[in-house]
Amino acid sequence: MAYPRELIRNFCIIAHIDHGKSTLADRLMERTDTVSSRDMADQLLDSMDIERERGITIKSTAVQMFYKHTDGRTYMLNLIDTPGHVDFTYEVSRALAACDGAVLIVDATQGIEAQTLANVYLAVDNGLEILPVINKIDLPSADPENAIREIEDIIGLPAEDAPQVSAKTGLNVEQVLARIVTDFPAPKGEADAPLRALIFDSYYDNYKGALSYVRIMDGVVRPGDRIRFMHTGSEFDVTEVGVFSPSLKPVKELSAGEVGYISASIKSVAETKVGDTITLAENPAKEPLHGYKQANPMVFCGIYPADGAEYENLREALEKLILNDASISYEPETSQALGYGFRCGFLGLLHMEIAQERLEREFDLDLVTTAPSVIYRVILTDGTTVMIDNPANLPSPTDIERMEEPMCLSHIMTPPEYVGTIMELCQEKRGIFSDMVYLEQSRVKLTYQIPLNEIIFDFFDSLKSRSRGYASFDYEISDYVQSDLVKLDFLLNGDMCDALSTIVHRDKAYAKGRAVAEKLQEVIPRQQFEIPIQAAIGGKIIARETVRALRKDVLAKCYGGDITRKKKLLEKQKEGKKRMRQIGSVELPSEAFMSVLRIN
Amino acid sequence: MAGLYIHIPFCRRKCAYCDFVSFADRVDFLPYTAALITEMRLYSPLIKEKSFDTVFIGGGTPSLLPAGLISRILDEARECFDVAEDAEITIECNPESIDEIKLNEYKASGVNRLSIGMQSSDDKVLAAIGRIHDKARSLSAYALAENAGFTNINIDIMHGLPLQSMESYLDSVRLASELGAQHISSYSLILEEHTRLYDEVVSGKLALPDEDDTADMQDAGITLLESLGYKRYEISNFAKAGFECRHNINYWNNGDYLGLGVNAHSALHIRDKWVRFRNHETIEEYVKTLGENKLPLAETQEVEREDEMFECIMMGLRKIEGVNRAEFEKRFGIDPVEQFAAAVSAAALDGMMEVTEERMKLTRRGLDFQNEVLLNFM
Repeated sequence: MAYPRELIRNFCIIAHIDHGKSTLADRLMERTDTVSSRDMADQLLDSMDIERERGITIKSTAVQMFYKHTDGRTYMLNLIDTPGHVDFTYEVSRALAACDGAVLIVDATQGIEAQTLANVYLAVDNGLEILPVINKIDLPSADPENAIREIEDIIGLPAEDAPQVSAKTGLNVEQVLARIVTDFPAPKGEADAPLRALIFDSYYDNYKGALSYVRIMDGVVRPGDRIRFMHTGSEFDVTEVGVFSPSLKPVKELSAGEVGYISASIKSVAETKVGDTITLAENPAKEPLHGYKQANPMVFCGIYPADGAEYENLREALEKLILNDASISYEPETSQALGYGFRCGFLGLLHMEIAQERLEREFDLDLVTTAPSVIYRVILTDGTTVMIDNPANLPSPTDIERMEEPMCLSHIMTPPEYVGTIMELCQEKRGIFSDMVYLEQSRVKLTYQIPLNEIIFDFFDSLKSRSRGYASFDYEISDYVQSDLVKLDFLLNGDMCDALSTIVHRDKAYAKGRAVAEKLQEVIPRQQFEIPIQAAIGGKIIARETVRALRKDVLAKCYGGDITRKKKLLEKQKEGKKRMRQIGSVELPSEAFMSVLRIN
Repeated sequence: MAGLYIHIPFCRRKCAYCDFVSFADRVDFLPYTAALITEMRLYSPLIKEKSFDTVFIGGGTPSLLPAGLISRILDEARECFDVAEDAEITIECNPESIDEIKLNEYKASGVNRLSIGMQSSDDKVLAAIGRIHDKARSLSAYALAENAGFTNINIDIMHGLPLQSMESYLDSVRLASELGAQHISSYSLILEEHTRLYDEVVSGKLALPDEDDTADMQDAGITLLESLGYKRYEISNFAKAGFECRHNINYWNNGDYLGLGVNAHSALHIRDKWVRFRNHETIEEYVKTLGENKLPLAETQEVEREDEMFECIMMGLRKIEGVNRAEFEKRFGIDPVEQFAAAVSAAALDGMMEVTEERMKLTRRGLDFQNEVLLNFM
């Protein structure tokens, strides 16, 4: 028996990082006895370590709760969690499409941030009802009046009667549950119509294979049904359907309006693409749900094992990683400096960092990562166009007619006192000013076109430090524009190190060349001979530094009590040597490749 | 033949660079000495067959101990162990804590070698590293030692210290020589984490001479010492002919030694196994365990034969004369040049090592890069 549709509410929570999304979700689950507070991990929805540490949600999940309302009826509340970062805008939009309402959490001590605003607009675009909730009112610095004013002035939502809660202490959380029932509409959809299920997420389960997390828009799905993925065209037999309680719990069927998972012994999440529509092979829907997009990697880097012998382990780890994240692309590549590794593509910089961390942590790998690169469009003199995601593969300058790079439409929200310094930053990053709006007295929104190639380095960190953490940032890729780009190379003791090459704007090449050469001079340990470091554009040397020769490498003292310790020191030194990369005669530590990323 | 090491963990004040197990401002000398004596008695029946030809009382600051306790310790050592008649018996002293009475007592109890921690003759350098003596005190300490009849005296000197110039360091070397020291240990400072000096350097309060300046000091020091008649016989040790420290040479030969006292380390052949062990690190635990008549062992480890071979190379190549091939072969049944063929030829090709019929030894350059040479032997 399908749950009565009028008693279902599907919703998500929109919040800025640290504004209390996971905490509120926990309280809602507690109040509805979905999980008892005792056996609940601190932040249940954020189940991966990395998410917990960074305070963000990477993979969205969902949870089903039952809430007894004051009208005496029991409602099924499906909370769909959304990834909280700019790299995952598309995933967020699909999760939103699965909902009918969104709880907007605003931190009473902080107000609204750029990313939150972007997601609220995304929710409004998807036709969601928005319920503002003011959080952290237990803190002494809470200013709920200001938060209300911001919601009304900036977003344009009435917020006078917004619940004022403390997710931490549980204060007024009951009000949120009641308002979810009264403010959000019940899902629409026809149980009798052909099946249309929207995939808002997917997850690879070691026993069940790739699971599609779906919202049933129309129709019913049951085990035994043959289903078709409308965009990929592939078909599978359903082995199980179920709900999130919050662990996976099989049910007999999922019907229009409901949220759950479909298991069909699918080998890879590459088949279960977010945004795709599942229908029945026997009685297919005429049209898929709209809004499907292929998520394309935007940022690329080379990933190599620190110890060359770990190459096969890295390959296996990548295979496993993409089981759960089909938006990562990878293919083998070889670098003279780094040996065998992979060129990997990611949705954005954060996505890249998270993937690297997961590889290192979950698969216990030690990695060397090259500087990130965007995809450049290179128009050759013979009229052909090539896309270049690895600077080492850039054709010779004499063969290049012109080059184009991707631009980002970037929105920055900041208190007015930081506008000056942020505009300077955008200027430094070759940003093109397009708009500045006072959203209210204490909040300015700046809009710039900034090359993605500048954003992927340290734009976000610089923005945070220049604004003392107050500015927030959101971007989307807009288009390719022609640009005067050059390849910057580095030579160590006369030998070029391909893994250090980057593509930069000509105006910035000198400064960058100097900065990287200086940094390399700091991180390359002294060796038995002097090492010249050169930065070059084409054949022309633009900067030079020197690592002086090492004079001594010997322990001054070694007596009876030191022997064990001395052996350990030597073992460590030997271990360190193994992790060194040989560029010609020069030994380069893995950190050298990383440190190049951290250049202003 | 074996060495006996006795650790006295007390100091008046901890030096800024020191990361040894030593404790300032403690005066529980008597219980500690009693524990040492218990430890000797416990080992006595176990180590009957070893003959000790050197004894080294180190610290900490052994000269801080009342002289009578040193005599008790040495008497008990002779009681418990087979200490050779002509054993080299050394005690470490700091200039400020020795006097005529102590020195006479040492002499009477059989001490025949002193090691004085002068470190520098430059008062502002001494202050910077937290020493509580000055140059004048070093001079008078040395005079007292000579008056007491000591004729085998080492002076410790360091370089690479804060506020130290090349001249300041070389002056210290000259002074040690003028005083007539038979042995000079000249160390480069090792900046260890968890020391006061480390914090001061990291926080920028004090600056050390840079790597190149320190290397220059070391090179100039070697030249000066050799011109003054001190032969370099180990990376940091120099002696007039016949005054090499036998106790330390035993370490560099990877020989047997028994360490007594807090955190003391030992290495002994026990029933054909090469075993390393060390004592508890706190006085409390050390004294308590011995109070229960148990050996105060914190860790015991049998060293694999391959590791033992490597240890012999690691320690042996610290000596200027290097590793004696015949002795190595006697111990392991294989010539080290054969055992480590690849590493030896790599080091020889790099100009780091010389191999003769009798020995394998590091060149001057090899001594500077001993660590890198050793990596190939691992």
